[in-house]
Amino acid sequence: MKALFSLAAITFKEGIRSRTVYGILIFAIFLMFLNVMISGMMMQDVAKVAVDMALSSLNFVGLLLVFFAGVNLFSKDIERKTIYMVLARPISRSRYILGKFAGISAIIVFSLAILAIFESASIVIMKNGYPAQFLRFSWSALFFSFLLTLISLIVVLSTGFLFASFSSTSFITLVLSIVTYLIGSSANEVKALLEVPHDIGERTSPLLLYCVKAACYIFPNLSLFDIKTEAAHGLFVPLSYILSSIFYGILYSFVMLSLSCIIFKRREFP
Amino acid sequence: MDPIIRVHDVSKSFRDNLSARKVKALESISLSAEKGEVYGFLGPNGAGKSTTIKLLLNLIRPDSGSVTIAGRSVEERELRRIVGFLPENPYFYEHLTAEELLWFGGQASGMKGSEIKERSMMLLEKTDLLDARKRAIRTYSKGMVQRAGLALALVHDPEVIILDEPMSGLDPFGRRMVSNLIIDMKKAGKTVFFSSHILGDIEKICDKVGIIAEGRLCLEDSLTNLLNYGATLEDIFFAEVEKISVKGN
Ligand SMILES: Nc1ncnc2c1ncn2[C@@H]1O[C@H](COP(=O)(O)OP(=O)(O)O)[C@@H](O)[C@H]1O
Ligand SMILES: [Mg+2]
Repeated sequence: MKALFSLAAITFKEGIRSRTVYGILIFAIFLMFLNVMISGMMMQDVAKVAVDMALSSLNFVGLLLVFFAGVNLFSKDIERKTIYMVLARPISRSRYILGKFAGISAIIVFSLAILAIFESASIVIMKNGYPAQFLRFSWSALFFSFLLTLISLIVVLSTGFLFASFSSTSFITLVLSIVTYLIGSSANEVKALLEVPHDIGERTSPLLLYCVKAACYIFPNLSLFDIKTEAAHGLFVPLSYILSSIFYGILYSFVMLSLSCIIFKRREFP
Repeated sequence: MDPIIRVHDVSKSFRDNLSARKVKALESISLSAEKGEVYGFLGPNGAGKSTTIKLLLNLIRPDSGSVTIAGRSVEERELRRIVGFLPENPYFYEHLTAEELLWFGGQASGMKGSEIKERSMMLLEKTDLLDARKRAIRTYSKGMVQRAGLALALVHDPEVIILDEPMSGLDPFGRRMVSNLIIDMKKAGKTVFFSSHILGDIEKICDKVGIIAEGRLCLEDSLTNLLNYGATLEDIFFAEVEKISVKGN
């Protein structure tokens, strides 16, 4: 436990001090000002635009963090052999994975918390400027959307871990995790699109449908975590939906990490 | 008594990524070091020194044969509590300070906080990093990184210390510092296994010498025995390595 915690701690420190994280956070602040400016130029739907922009930029910046700071912190550890200093300790391969994952997740939670504060501040500014536009706005919907975005980022990170556990270069890991993210966030929509023609009598190739269905099971269903629209419109999202999405996210990450541990146990580091 | 480090009949090959051919790195190699010995592992570049050392740390696994330390398989996690390791050309998390690096090493090896503090300060002083201990490793010179790695390898006061080319990249002062550290460890009853291709280093501090070339151990003997033949270590080294190259070609 102590070993796991200390690895998480140095991973966090290493990540948080790196230029990538600084750069991304500065970019986030820029996005926040952009948000205030753009929503301010709107004549109507100021609340919708402001919330949607806040959530989208949080998601975007979060993804940058996951891919360029998070996944990299793991795969570079293997590539540059900094992993030797960890594996030479009485620390199991599984604990290495978990410690690293905990440390990187902490970086993402920490950065996203800062971003969320900034984004919320921008919304407070807009709300005070256009109180009439924010009648349907709900802080809780915004908060839950932040939370689900965070969970989806952790899920994406866990897929990155799976790829890094067997691939030999950080570039391959990066590409695979980005592709997984793209498929994961669109597979469900594609499935829905393919299923529609059935109802109007058109035929989709069954093989294609089968593949897409399989993809929906294998790849993370990231659309589950996307309640940006609901938050922007101030719509009510049932707590049961939020809880089950969180549960799905945790379960999916757990499976990814378990697979990474199994693969990592057999791996050699020449 | 059983040797504390024992590599028995180990072969290891790597798959070459480009040609998909297998490269033989080690061919049924056997060696052993007794407790309290300083073992100098000599060989030209590409001989298989680092490969052997990575096997001792369970970073890679043998195709055949067995590797044990203190009678236990190197696959045992807890074994690494008594093993200290300095990799070749070490590279650490660059935004950490030397102090934090040692803190991690101690924590991960199950040491108490006060113990870590005490050992760290002592080692940082010995490796001449006391002034730089609160600076990020990114700002260190190559020699300083090497010394930080050495301090990290020793922070948990290990019984068996495995160093891959500990003198490389160091100036004469640094080399003397490493020699002195190794001599200190020997005095404290520790076993030191280190690789090098600098013959002078070995001659001064080793009890036992193993010479490896092209993945095969050519010779293993105590230094006194070897030098009894009248030749210098350099003569023996060249003779043994050339014997292997002739056989190989
Ligand atoms: N990861 C690897 N992939 C392929 N070949 C390797 C790898 N690591 C080492 N080798 C080969 O194994 C041999 C021994 O290498 P090494 O143990 O690093 O030598 P030394 O440390 O004595 O200089 C060399 O021929 C080297 O090319
Ligand atoms: Mg080497």
